[in-house]
Amino acid sequence: MRHRSTWWKTLIAVVLTLIMLFPIYWMINISLTKRRSIRSGDLYPRDFTLTNFSSAFHTEMTYLGTSLLIAVGVVLLTLVIALPSSYAIAFLELKGRRTINFLLIVAQMIPAVVMALGFYQIYNRIGLLDSIPGLIIADSTVAVPFAVMLLSSFMTGMPHSIIEAAEIDGASRWRVFTTIVVPLSRNSIVTTSLFSFLWAWSDFMFASTLDSGGGRMRPITMGLYDFIGAQNQEWGPLMATAVLASVPTAILLIVAQKYVAAGVTAGAIKD
Amino acid sequence: MHNLFIKRFATICSAVAIVASLAACGSSNQSANTIGFWDPYPQKNASSTWEAFVKRCAPEGYKIKRTGYPQSDLLNNLTTAVKAGNAPQIALIDNPKMPTAVDAGLVTDIKAAGINTKGYDSNIEAPGIIDHVQYGISYGSNALGLYYNPKILEKAGVDPASIKDWASLNKAIEQVVASGSKGITFAGISGEEGTFQFLPWFWGAEGDLKHPKSQAETDALNLVSDWVRKGWAPKSVSTDNQSAAWDAFLTDQYGFSENGSWQAESAKEKGYGMIPIPGKSGGVAPVPTGGEFITIPTQKKADKDLSKATAKVINCLVDGDNLKKTNDEMVYLAAKRSVRNQQVQENQIWAPWVKPIEQAKGRTSDIGLKYEDVSAQLSEDLQEALNQR
Amino acid sequence: MSFNIHPLQDSDGSIRNSKKRGIHSTTLAAWGFAMPLIVYLAVFYVTPLIQNIFMSLHRFTRRTFVTGDAPWSGIQVYQEVLGNPKFWTILVQTLLFVVLSIIFQYSLGLALAVFFNQNFRLSAVLRGAFLVPWLLPPMISGTIWQWMMDADTGVINKVIGFFGGSPIWWLQADHSLWSVIIANIWLGIPFNMVILYSGLQNINQDLYEAASLDGCNYWQRFWKITFPLLKPVTMITLLLGFVYTLKTVDIIWIMTKGTGTSRTLATWAYEMAFGKGTSATIRYSEASVVGTILIAIALIFAFAYLRAQGSERSKQ
Repeated sequence: MRHRSTWWKTLIAVVLTLIMLFPIYWMINISLTKRRSIRSGDLYPRDFTLTNFSSAFHTEMTYLGTSLLIAVGVVLLTLVIALPSSYAIAFLELKGRRTINFLLIVAQMIPAVVMALGFYQIYNRIGLLDSIPGLIIADSTVAVPFAVMLLSSFMTGMPHSIIEAAEIDGASRWRVFTTIVVPLSRNSIVTTSLFSFLWAWSDFMFASTLDSGGGRMRPITMGLYDFIGAQNQEWGPLMATAVLASVPTAILLIVAQKYVAAGVTAGAIKD
Repeated sequence: MHNLFIKRFATICSAVAIVASLAACGSSNQSANTIGFWDPYPQKNASSTWEAFVKRCAPEGYKIKRTGYPQSDLLNNLTTAVKAGNAPQIALIDNPKMPTAVDAGLVTDIKAAGINTKGYDSNIEAPGIIDHVQYGISYGSNALGLYYNPKILEKAGVDPASIKDWASLNKAIEQVVASGSKGITFAGISGEEGTFQFLPWFWGAEGDLKHPKSQAETDALNLVSDWVRKGWAPKSVSTDNQSAAWDAFLTDQYGFSENGSWQAESAKEKGYGMIPIPGKSGGVAPVPTGGEFITIPTQKKADKDLSKATAKVINCLVDGDNLKKTNDEMVYLAAKRSVRNQQVQENQIWAPWVKPIEQAKGRTSDIGLKYEDVSAQLSEDLQEALNQR
Repeated sequence: MSFNIHPLQDSDGSIRNSKKRGIHSTTLAAWGFAMPLIVYLAVFYVTPLIQNIFMSLHRFTRRTFVTGDAPWSGIQVYQEVLGNPKFWTILVQTLLFVVLSIIFQYSLGLALAVFFNQNFRLSAVLRGAFLVPWLLPPMISGTIWQWMMDADTGVINKVIGFFGGSPIWWLQADHSLWSVIIANIWLGIPFNMVILYSGLQNINQDLYEAASLDGCNYWQRFWKITFPLLKPVTMITLLLGFVYTLKTVDIIWIMTKGTGTSRTLATWAYEMAFGKGTSATIRYSEASVVGTILIAIALIFAFAYLRAQGSERSKQ
């Protein structure tokens, strides 16, 4: 690419990132502040304490593991359902493609309340209440329509010459799908995975209706309620928990972002 | 190759099926000797003394499965569970929600289940008695009071004992503000929590929930909204809940805070004092009772042994010395005078709270189910008043 | 051009090029690949959707919800909701919320995506950092925004005061809508940026080199290459952004409880369905009606999207 001095771009990017992350800074600020000062609006933790972190650490760590398990499960389930159907929509002249597209949009508009109530009744019957697989399935309903729309839209933009060439060579559709379409979709797969992960990570509605009796096997968004009484909320440990929860996932995000790399399709054409 | 595809597809399908069947193993169906117990105390986690205390009440051969829900979700979750035939055996319901729970058929007659309901204070139990049937037992109550910061009052030359009515309260706040501090914090948040904090002013002006639109409402609205307009109270009161109002008070910048007895311990630590909320022209304003009712939710399938065990658990929670323990856990004052006296003897911070609790009124005692609408109306009026620029 | 050419498809989705295999096999394979999705949609969405419509046509209260004998009310609840003067105010607020949020989320997201698309030191790490706001549970991010916008002690007013401005009562009822829009734009930028960024990655770099040789400057390259080639991705981003913004509840709810001008159709439905607003009364039917109206609005938008997508394809 263009090889010019780029330090000023880095500088602008750092400034923009700092602005964007300011609310995160505020969360860290509060997590290090004693309760008596959380509403004084100090720019740094002037009334410093670490006790919020120790109480968060003692009570919240198992919830983090559960959340991670659920989020990864949602990503996998979403991809298993969305990838083949996106391939069908983008390449295999699926009849009723428009109807499906339409349904996908409607699906995303169904109020979460209605979805949660529906799931509760189904799960109560088949015994999936308060279970992790149940929550994975429910959480995936947020991600699947999104994933299908995004993946199929990206696949439509893929160079069809490669696929046709492979088909002429006699490759089966399954082979075309697994060895060409999926690898070429890397960017959009990473992107959809990221969002599926994040949605599952921050879900509260399904967790509170379908997994509230899950005890220690509840996600972190429920674990936060350990600090919320009816008339009294402990924001310090709550924010500390959120900080602890953000660290591993933030690293994951930054690493995953690196895989959204340039030239995947361009490179394939040259081969 | 088309066969190959179908084969692959079948592999995926069976994989999904396996996951689904594994899922079924993981779930815990309620067994016949488990007593479900729901409370609105999610802050009491599995290792809390409350959880241990509740579990100790399980009769021989039974175990208790306790679940804490946020106060605002418990009744809705109970509604869904009763409909699905999946209700817990015991649920602790916030007192103003009792008429709603009864109207929807969520809870059952508690005397018929064999619970001893004698000896409790009638003002605290009133919200649970609907059409002469008692649907729950309230073990205790909290109350609202007016906390003050003695250092700030001293600096402003205000004697808390001089606050007898609204005029002297306003004068005291004015003096505090004039001395360079801030005035008062309270919760004006939309919904029941804001109404709860507004009622002492409404009742203090001799308001009647049967006729909410009244001079009393106007007076009370003017009182609190003037505080905001004059800058005596923070502008955030219209979105502050009681915890946020307390956080603001904890900054030691405010002279007063309307808040609940649940903060008594925290107040003692900080050296704050408390006076009862004054009525408009003197006297002590009635405050709403706060606290939960132990109820027995409606079950689709009757199970006599389980019902008996359930009654044993409830009796255990409120019998003899345990009534005090339950209240100590919740930081409430017990609904029985003898137990209350014992609590005060043991911990002097309770002394100033006895009177407000004995004079407290149930929010739904007079108007029952209509309270839902009246509370909504008061909440909307309060929001409008507090948002005036 | 390597992007967006699809010889197999035409505008109505009918089969044109099926010489290599029999029609039968292609159709079957298509259904085979799509089957997991179709089953999934049927199992998890059709039931709730029917239930939503069912509830909107009956008079459900908490009691009739439990007993299951809600009386049939036909379109009566629809008439009540549409006849409520509040409805139209809330609709206008909703549209303002959605349109303004999307305009800013998209344009800022696109600007950032283009900016980060240039390889400079730390660009990948900083790009990843932009996503971190998404990790926060809404309970946390909403509360932080509420505190930052506090009229008396909020940090935003401190900054304004530092530059000599007078403090703003951000969450006051008359302009709380603007405050929640600001917070929502913040929340939506990462989503837009990431999708548009991965769209940019699929544009062939050779095109830019060719354009450079033809003497196009940076601005011209953006409008002549980047923007048109991003169109499919733009459309999907806007569509999804529209759908998600339309149903946003969390951030508004936590900041203002949907009071004042910040009440949208989605928060209204939420407060009625759960009895969490000023009124603790549950109004399932009214909430379902508003839910159905939201679905209808999304459908109009979806229809426009599919039309645009169709005409895009037939142009080629």
